[in-house]
Amino acid sequence: MSRFTLRDSILATLLAALVLSAMPWLMSDFALALTLTCLMYAGLAVSWAMFCGATNYLSLATAAFFGMGAYVTAWGAETLAYGLAVLLGGLAAAVFAALVGAAVLHLRGAYFAVITFGLGELVRHGITYYEKAYAGTVGRVISDPPETVTIYHTVLLLTALAVVTALAVRASRLGLALRGIGSDEERARTLGVDTRRAKVLAFSLSAFFPGALGAAMAMRWTYIDPLSVFNPFIGFQTVLIAMVGGAHTILGPIASSVLFSLLTEYLRLQFPYLFLVILGLLLILLVLYLPGGLASLLDRWRWGKSRA
Amino acid sequence: MSVPSLSRRAILGAIAAAAFAPAIAPAFAQDAPVRIGYAIARTGPWSAGAQVTQEPNYIMWAEQVNARGGLSVKGKKRMVELVAVDDRSDMETVVRSYERLMGSDKVDLILPPWGTGANFAVMPLAQKHGYPMLSPTATGRKLLGMKNPYFFALLQQPDRMMDALAEFLAARGAKTAAVIYVDELFGLEQFAGLEASLKQKNIQLVEKKSYPIGVKDLQPVLNDIKSKNPDAFIALSYPPDTFLITGQSRAIGFNPKLFYTAVGTAFPVYRDKFGPVAEGVMGLGTWNPKSSAATKAYFDAHVARWKKEPDRWASAHAWAGLQILEQAVAKAGVDRKALRDTIANSEFDTIIGKIRFRNGENISTPGAVSQWQSGEFEVVWPPQNATGPAYYPKPAWK
Repeated sequence: MSRFTLRDSILATLLAALVLSAMPWLMSDFALALTLTCLMYAGLAVSWAMFCGATNYLSLATAAFFGMGAYVTAWGAETLAYGLAVLLGGLAAAVFAALVGAAVLHLRGAYFAVITFGLGELVRHGITYYEKAYAGTVGRVISDPPETVTIYHTVLLLTALAVVTALAVRASRLGLALRGIGSDEERARTLGVDTRRAKVLAFSLSAFFPGALGAAMAMRWTYIDPLSVFNPFIGFQTVLIAMVGGAHTILGPIASSVLFSLLTEYLRLQFPYLFLVILGLLLILLVLYLPGGLASLLDRWRWGKSRA
Repeated sequence: MSVPSLSRRAILGAIAAAAFAPAIAPAFAQDAPVRIGYAIARTGPWSAGAQVTQEPNYIMWAEQVNARGGLSVKGKKRMVELVAVDDRSDMETVVRSYERLMGSDKVDLILPPWGTGANFAVMPLAQKHGYPMLSPTATGRKLLGMKNPYFFALLQQPDRMMDALAEFLAARGAKTAAVIYVDELFGLEQFAGLEASLKQKNIQLVEKKSYPIGVKDLQPVLNDIKSKNPDAFIALSYPPDTFLITGQSRAIGFNPKLFYTAVGTAFPVYRDKFGPVAEGVMGLGTWNPKSSAATKAYFDAHVARWKKEPDRWASAHAWAGLQILEQAVAKAGVDRKALRDTIANSEFDTIIGKIRFRNGENISTPGAVSQWQSGEFEVVWPPQNATGPAYYPKPAWK
């Protein structure tokens, strides 16, 4: 990647976003909805990899952040402008991640993974309790949702922003610190890196995007209740996509979210009863033969060329 | 490793073909088939309910219609072709699938997905594209509160079902009741309805408690309620909790005069799992094979086709929805605006009796109470729909 400067990469991202922003007028409803799904998972996977890919921490909190954002929209739908609700959804998730991160980021490996998964349950039950006790309801209806085109552009903007942020983080001192933590946290600390600050900052930053994406996407579902927005499937799929793509890169998760979303859709429509079996087999094959993710294909190809 | 890159290329090509080429309908000698699209859960947590109550009916109906020579569309016979996809129990997939069916595939008609949440998500799309939807597994005043002219709910609304239960209790002279309910739109709406009805009938509520969805143990709550010794115990529960509550109540010997659990009680699997233990348990139900000759015919056809029984509540409502669609299409054809108006303004003959809608609500089917008796879920209330007398008080747990 060294051939591209940070400026080139950001320009390329913005150019791609510009092209994609015209899609609502070029695509059918369904193709647009499929593109929207690709973009959503690209945003989720890139922001997940921003923290987890570099540090080798396994976070399963994506579903919790996503659901929090969705609930901010649900609460604010009547009173807040859509854009503001999305922003607040992201901020709520980021603040929550910072608080939780400060408390649990000293844990590593399986402990951290389990804690972050538990967070999803905690937030879901917390919101259920709050809604029942103080609002007398559990589900919320969004009576006046924005147009699909508006949601599409919001998600596109957020995903582009996630990619730009990931690029900027990677090129910064923070990115260096995160990679240092990923390769050897003790050594990074000995060398004077404030690992705790770096981790909390990056974890919080990476939570903004799932929060904001949840706030934007939930508008499409009219009815928001804890079970549908804290869907653990969304969290698992994000992790899977990032890993299949190559979590240490940025292009990998993007490519993999497009591939994964299209593949899931294709299998779902063509093999209605077998698609999960086929998907599972493909994943096993990918993990066995491409442990570095799709991104390692590119590396291999480059390596092959330089040898020739 | 060239395997992934090769297959990736092939797969991408195939995806492009599948996603952007229109589905090819088989050409018939007569008129083109009526294409009816839906997305429903075949995988994931919603599939248990969807595959008991909803999709088997869709498929069986299409088969029966085609065996009769097709759907009568303003006097012309046209075959039915179902365009069905799995929604993976995922809300975004539901929305995307219906966008495809109505926006890109432009199917002639749609059938609704399973469950209240998914119906909420599809309603605005159905209105935007002008497709009427007759929903057999969506219930709640909140749904009707959307005032969506294309949405028709086939189940009795919560207050209607709970009024019937309170009437039954009053008729039997019950004085006290204890209620637990699941923390979900369903539980909250049913409870609100029940609380009002009990109050009106002067039945004292000695305990009301809610519990989170996915609960694994309710024994402490049940013990507490047992000590209060209410005449009636009513659990406004979902299938997993319905099973849990039945099992735990029996284990602690809690046997009030009326024992009622909500969703799932009407499933044949409830009876099959509990056997004689189910005797005397009451729940949400509308019909059984003894209700009428029509329900008997439906029941027998279902057993013959699927080798399993339909559930005694929403299955028949799903079938009634298909009957309504069939009758409305015969009159109005597949001009969907005219079809909507016909559904909204006519009365239809169905296996659960005559049905008429007002503002999307089925106002004809009365609330009912059913009870397991020797392997059948007998309708015990209201008297004009009853297929047998109620056991009250409930016999002791076997």
